[in-house]
Parts: sequence; structure tokens; C-alpha cells
Amino acid sequence: MRKEALQKKIEETVLDSYEAMYRLAYTYVRREEDALDIVQESAYKAIKHAACVKQEAYIKTWLWRIVMNTAIDFIRKNQKEIAVDAFYEDVREDSYQDFDTIEALEVLTEKEKAVVVLRFFEDQKISEIAKVLHENTNTVKTILYRSLKKLRLKLTEGEPDYER
Amino acid sequence: MRDKKLENIRQDYGNIRIPEELLQRVEAGIQQAKEEKQMEKKSKILVYTGRVAGGAAAAMLVIIIMANSGATIAHAMAKIPVIGAIAEVVTFREYESAQNNMEANIKIPEVSVKNEDGTVNEKTTQKINKSIQEYTDEIIAQYEADVEAAGEGEGHMDVELDYSIITDNDRLFSIRFDQLLVMASGTQMVKIYHIDKQTGEMIQLSGLFQEGADYITVISENIKEQMKEQMAADESVMYYLDSEIPEWDFQSIKEETTFYVNEDGKLTIVFDEYQVAPGYMGSVEFVIPTEAVEGLAQEGFLK
Repeated sequence: MRKEALQKKIEETVLDSYEAMYRLAYTYVRREEDALDIVQESAYKAIKHAACVKQEAYIKTWLWRIVMNTAIDFIRKNQKEIAVDAFYEDVREDSYQDFDTIEALEVLTEKEKAVVVLRFFEDQKISEIAKVLHENTNTVKTILYRSLKKLRLKLTEGEPDYER
Repeated sequence: MRDKKLENIRQDYGNIRIPEELLQRVEAGIQQAKEEKQMEKKSKILVYTGRVAGGAAAAMLVIIIMANSGATIAHAMAKIPVIGAIAEVVTFREYESAQNNMEANIKIPEVSVKNEDGTVNEKTTQKINKSIQEYTDEIIAQYEADVEAAGEGEGHMDVELDYSIITDNDRLFSIRFDQLLVMASGTQMVKIYHIDKQTGEMIQLSGLFQEGADYITVISENIKEQMKEQMAADESVMYYLDSEIPEWDFQSIKEETTFYVNEDGKLTIVFDEYQVAPGYMGSVEFVIPTEAVEGLAQEGFLK
């Protein structure tokens, strides 16, 4: 595909999926203002580096990766502030919220979060997620399996242990 | 974890409020990139660096893909079993399915057992293949039932079954099945078939030991010791042993307890998830020192 046409295609994909991009970003930072920054930067990067995409079929996975990496970079840069903010947020929200909200995803690592979100909330195939993470499908399945286990522990905290 | 909880998180995720200014911000990002690219076109040097950067990224991508496909080939090669003297995997079938967001990938090997003179040992060959078939049929039937139950709705399930030849020495041939079931929660299950190459028979744990030997007590006690030691050494390790609910406690292994002989020739006992420990411990294994079962085991299995 010619460069201009590819860039146009990427732009269309961004405009089609920016809400999903936002939700993924929000899952990482859980603050509107920060998630907006991440999506804006991701859109910028996608167009700016359009030439890196070799095949039209990879545009979507490539976008997911940009959002994930941008969010992770953002967290690294702002680690301290987020920790403090999240602390106060938790205190406030715990008083009326249950555990089965996206808060529960906080027990996961950055990579695990992406796998769970993409597989269960964005309905991406294991093979697509593998491309996003540059991992093979078996590794993705292992990560998924481990993440669910962690989530299960988190979600059954304080409940009678029916399931063993 | 109950599906409902994951479903709640999913809903919460879907309800993340999209700020009104989002589209505007996205467009601003796109615009900025376009303007910068326009500027770059005006400066040849910048265009050049831009190309180099693009070229480098593309080259990296190729290397990654090659490394991955290399790994796949290596993986596939490793799966071609070493042809043993009397037992071998002659062929395998694959059951693959992907529907309603559910995926299955089940490999079903066919084993052939030969007598020393090279003729096929029909009895054991049929027996092991029938047993493998029943086992895999059950997994496939479960998967198909789940797909049906999900109907038009959203199912989330992946089932993987793979096998490997874990032992093939002078005395023993063992084929191991690892089932990975991801269905809102994940479960790991192991099943291993063994053939005593001396007799050509399929054997269970009891087949490793001499008639009448009380290996069950000896091994069970050894495992309990190991559990205690591990729990004392590491707080995060937990087994069902001397717990508040004695019915759940690990009491004893059985004649058909899953086992294999590891690379060092040591007997290794395998427990599926939840059998002897909370789910987070996963599937657990205990290596039994050969000294512990000295005098009980038959010759040639353990070292």
C-alpha cells in the first residue's frame, strides 16, 4: 500500500476506535485528564510513525500497542503522583463500591492488564493479543491464566471459601 | 471466580465515561503529527532521518517475526517424538475449533506398542489408544456442550490439550497430557499414561512397585514431610494439611495417583489444581527421593 493511503487508513482506524483506546488508557491511569493525554499522544504517534506499519491488517494491533506503551511510559514518568492520587481515590470509593469493578484490575501487572482487557472486554483473539505484545500465543495464554487466577483471589477476598 | 464477577468488571469497563473533549483531543494529535510531517518534507535532512528511523523499525519487526517463526519450528521439531524401541507415537489428529469467542485446540496422538520381535502388541496398543480417545472425547464433548450452552451469547473459553513424551528409557515409556482450560478462571490438569516396556502393559503407580509393598504409606508420609518443610520455609506456600477442616486435608496418595519419572530417574507425584492446595498454588509436584522407596520399587524404573 502506498504511504499516503496507509496513513489515511490509520487515521480512519484511529477515528473508529478512539473510544476503545480511551478505555484501555483509562484502565491504566484511572484519571480522565491523564487518559485524554495518553490518547492524544497515541493518535499523534500513530500518524507520525505511519510508515512503520507494513500491512493494513496490523493497524489495529499496532494501535493497541501504542496505547499500552504510551500508558506504561506515562505511569513510569508520573509514578509518585499517581500512587498518591490513587490512594485517596481508593479510600473514597471503597466506602460505596464493590470489589468487582475495574479497580480489581489493579492486582495485575501492566502486561496482564492489557491481556485481560483485550481478551475479555475488547474481544480480541489470543493471536491478535500475541501480536500486540510481541509474544507467542502460548505465552499470552499463560499470562491470561495467571491473571485470572490473581483476579479470582482478589474477588473472593473475605468471602466464604466455597470453591476451594 | 464466578463469571458474574468478571461480567461486572466488563460492564464497569464498558461504562467508563467518555469525556466530551476526547474526539477533539484525538483530532489535535492527528493534526500535530500531520503538521510535523509536512515540516519534515521541507527539510531533506529531516526526511532522511525519518526514513532511517522507519527503516530501523521495519528491520526490527522482521527480526522479531523470524525469531518467532524459528521458535515455532523448533517447538514443532521437539514434538516429533523420539522413536523408542517398542512404544512410539505414530500419528496424531488435531481437533481445532473457534466459534462464539471460544477456542479449542486438542491434539490426539495415536500410540503403537511393539513386541521385541517387532510385531505390534495389539492388546496394549488398543488399550492405550482407547483410553486416550475416551479422555480426549470427554474434553471435546465438554467443550462442545459449553459452546452450545453459550449459544448466540458471549462465551469465553479456551481449551488446550497438548501431549509430550516425558520418559522413554529402557524400561518405561510415558506420555503426558497437559490440559489448560481458561474459562473465566483457569484450570490446569495433567494426565499421564505409562507403558512398562518389559511387559508391554499399561501401568499405574502400583506397577512401579513390588507386589504387596506398602509404597502408599511411605510416599504419603514423605509428601507430608515435604509439605510441612515447604510451608515452614515460605509463608506463601500453603497445602491442605493439619488445617481447620480435616476433611479437606491431604491424607494419602492412591494406586492411580498421577506420577512420572523425572529426568534424574526420580519418582515425581503430580496433583492437579485444588487437590492438595488452594487454587493459587496451581498444579503441584513432589519429587520422592529414591532412598525413601528403596526395597519397594521394582528394578529399572527409578534411579
